[in-house]
Amino acid sequence: MPITRRDFLKTGAAVAATAAAPRPLLVYFGRKPEAAPPIEDSRLKDLAAKALEAARGAGAGYADVRLTHDWSTGGFGVAAAESLAVGVRALVNGYWGFASGPVWSSDEMARLGREAVHQARTNSLGNSRVVELAPAPAVKDGHWVMPVKIDPFEISPSEIQDFLLSLKIYTERFPGTSVQVLEAHFVKQEEALASTEGTYCTQRVYGSSGDFWFNLFKGDKGLGRALDGLTPTGLGFELFRDAPLREAIRRLIAEMEEDLTLPEKPVEVGRYDAVFNARCTAGLLAATLGPATELDRALGYEANAGGSSYITAPFDMLGSYRTGASSLTVTANRSEPGGCATVQWDDDGVVPDEFTLVQDGVLVDFQTTRESAGWLKGHYAAHGRPFRSHGCAAAASAINAPLQRTPNLVMAPGSEAAGFDDLVAGLTAGIAVKDMLVDVDFQHLSGAGRLYYEGARMGSTYEVKRGKRVARIVGAGILFRAPELWKSLLKVGGPASAQRHGFLDTKGEPAQNGCHSVTAPPAVFKQVTLIDPLRRA
Amino acid sequence: MSGLDRFLRRDDSLRFLSREECAALVDRIRGFAQGGGKTEVAVTSWWSGEVRWARNRVSLASDRRDIRVDVSRTLPAMTGDGNVTTNQLDDVSLTAAVRQAERSARRRKHFRTDIVTSAPDFQYAKPAIWSDTSYGVTTEERGRIARALLDPAEAAGMLSAGYLEVRAQGTASTPAEKPLMYAQQTTAQCSMTVRDPEGRGSGWAGGSSYDWTRIDPEALARRALEKCLASRNPVTIEPGRYTVILEPQAAHDLVVWVVDALNGRQAAENQPGPLNAGYDTALRLGRSKLGLKVVDERLTISHDPMDPALGVIPFADDGWGPYPVQAVTWIDHGVLTALSYGRGYAVTQLTDNVPIAPRMAYRMSGGPTSVEEMIATTKRGLLVTRFSGVHPLSEGLFTGLTRDGLWLIENGKISKAVKNLRFTDSPWFLLNSLEQLGEPVPVFSPDAPAIVPPLKARDFSFTSAIDAI
Repeated sequence: MPITRRDFLKTGAAVAATAAAPRPLLVYFGRKPEAAPPIEDSRLKDLAAKALEAARGAGAGYADVRLTHDWSTGGFGVAAAESLAVGVRALVNGYWGFASGPVWSSDEMARLGREAVHQARTNSLGNSRVVELAPAPAVKDGHWVMPVKIDPFEISPSEIQDFLLSLKIYTERFPGTSVQVLEAHFVKQEEALASTEGTYCTQRVYGSSGDFWFNLFKGDKGLGRALDGLTPTGLGFELFRDAPLREAIRRLIAEMEEDLTLPEKPVEVGRYDAVFNARCTAGLLAATLGPATELDRALGYEANAGGSSYITAPFDMLGSYRTGASSLTVTANRSEPGGCATVQWDDDGVVPDEFTLVQDGVLVDFQTTRESAGWLKGHYAAHGRPFRSHGCAAAASAINAPLQRTPNLVMAPGSEAAGFDDLVAGLTAGIAVKDMLVDVDFQHLSGAGRLYYEGARMGSTYEVKRGKRVARIVGAGILFRAPELWKSLLKVGGPASAQRHGFLDTKGEPAQNGCHSVTAPPAVFKQVTLIDPLRRA
Repeated sequence: MSGLDRFLRRDDSLRFLSREECAALVDRIRGFAQGGGKTEVAVTSWWSGEVRWARNRVSLASDRRDIRVDVSRTLPAMTGDGNVTTNQLDDVSLTAAVRQAERSARRRKHFRTDIVTSAPDFQYAKPAIWSDTSYGVTTEERGRIARALLDPAEAAGMLSAGYLEVRAQGTASTPAEKPLMYAQQTTAQCSMTVRDPEGRGSGWAGGSSYDWTRIDPEALARRALEKCLASRNPVTIEPGRYTVILEPQAAHDLVVWVVDALNGRQAAENQPGPLNAGYDTALRLGRSKLGLKVVDERLTISHDPMDPALGVIPFADDGWGPYPVQAVTWIDHGVLTALSYGRGYAVTQLTDNVPIAPRMAYRMSGGPTSVEEMIATTKRGLLVTRFSGVHPLSEGLFTGLTRDGLWLIENGKISKAVKNLRFTDSPWFLLNSLEQLGEPVPVFSPDAPAIVPPLKARDFSFTSAIDAI
């Protein structure tokens, strides 16, 4: 959705109207500093061009430059940090160089352009390395603003604080409740990207998330729970203001009251059919197939950092490897509204497409950038598929070089309209899981799920008999191997039961933070191994 | 001239802010304050030169730098402080940051006990944390080293992936109405993973120090390659209790959690955990295990910032202004002798103005046994290269995975490579089940230096087999 001149004028007017929200950081278009303008300002294009000229002049075969302007708040919605950054990436004879710093000025653009080429050229002295960037049409002056309803940086922090306080008061009106944590976090990033292939685009993206924990005590029995649905999103303050949070609080309290009436039970180690709610299913996907289908990871590019992939021979396994049951289909996108990996252009300047990673249980594609799509050129040609990047390049800010990062993932729901409670009702005997922390090995293969929180008996794992939750299992865990787990998928919840959750992760050396959304329905898995994770051998 | 201009125009011989520049910057920021009260400022500026490689080719070489200025304002008669961070050094940006901090201070309702008004004139150590050599490792040199490291792997038909970084940083911190504290520090690190192209084996080696000359990258490359070759085609063994020989890196991966637990006397006194001795009903106090034996009596865990291999920035700050990082013996021959506490706790709870700074740098005492002798004296056990993904489960209990080289020892000899295992155990149990200790050596720990011996311990609990290599 490129913005029109009319939209741009409106944005400009909005900025003028909210002059109380200052744009204090300075930029040097010439010799004199002036306030950093909104990212759509055309003078930034000229500034970016200085870096590209310098890189081209120094001999880069390809170069791109990113300018980022970042804002973030503390836990109470008050703006707490702001920074500018610029980073230049250059390609010389198949070798990449990168240089970055905090200053937006013509001189600095030129220095970074030259430095990036110097970094690349120095390493190109060794053995030959080939980079074939997948073709991407140049973006001519594209501008995009993530369509959020309420820019958290344009409203008074008091509004956010008052809202949070009202939630606390509302919650604590229920007898026995006490709010432990209640925070709201917001980020905003403006980015301009220019490349030697003629691309110039700018975008403004937002991120919102919350932490909301409260306890409920009835007599000497108590429980602590987090309100679902506040994991990271690509939304504005509407994540809080427009969400039915009071209804969610009432529902959660009712659920906790019900849980307190259930008997507590220690873990009986064994294998059980298990219903996972949408959040747990999304967590399993984010820990296993999400990282495993990153092509650079599968080829060993992260071997010295977070690890590689259980898809150990990506080119041979592509198109034939069975990653799960035939009811498992996983697609990826960077376009869904509210997704935290959603952008208009990735950090290669590519418009990301919606693509399928797993079709009916079979691995059919990988997450790619322009460089890593080049590694699949032969495969795509042999199968009559277009040679293109899926647009998964991303950098945390311009200080960092882009890496391939996980896009938003979507696990296809089942055709029958079934929610978590329906799936539980359909279970003769087994367990139901509503909350889980997943930890996997360095090939994202063998994993352990912890169904409790440290230091407290706060799990949401239930014994199910004849379709009813009959006891709360305390301090449980699961063990799994990713391929077997996904092959044991028995049933998938219906379209209305799917939920989106945001997951933070790190990748690379030096490590960069990232975020992507995973949308999944609740699901039933056959014969999951239940363990006591606190038991030593 | 603004600090920004100077940052811009300097030649490349100074890639971060000097003490004088930080001092001028802090003066400038204080000048923007309105409404009295206190202004505290922390400034960090850094440069980093990096090279990363994978599949035997350099995948990215980079030169990066950035600044971080933290401004904290406390207003008179206000209970809260306001904190704002920026990376710009011009007057307009800094004035805006100070105003924003003041607005935020007015809004905050947090209580802040301002009992600690004046600090004594602390004496600060001058640790060895700067190396001209590290700062002088050029792009060309980094490239040459990287190529020299991946060539042997390629010649052996293996795949190397790794990372080399040299970094310099200036850190300044200012208490209100006190002179500036400043330290400049270099760090260097090099680590690599060599894998079999079919994914049948993996070996790792790494080193870190403030001083690049203390890292021997070629030796690391040989070690990672040897480990990869020796780890190929592992066989599955049953999880269970095993005698383990932990190489220094593997020992560090667990002991670092012991050191982490030593950071916080208040926590040890108030929260259930391995260092809590329970609630004293007579005194109505939670008690820590200070004075009690907590690990094997052969063990001493200490840190002296003046140790030439364990230098750290000589000041700490937990919100009440800087104070010195002093030498401390945490555990003396098995007895817990110190737990860290900050200035607030020192003054309010101990009527003592000299805190013990928390830190992750440490030295662990060793013993006379080499890893070879440990192996030779083991009937059945496992030799561990390192652990990955170690994290707490509950009150001192941890889980994690072996990674990049695990071997079975039978009858005093390494008999075969075995598949990785998940453990569920406590580092406190480990340090109470020691059999032998070796010579302490520096390990890979880029954020805080550590000197750790190899060790042999009995009955370490592995709870499941994992197939990842």
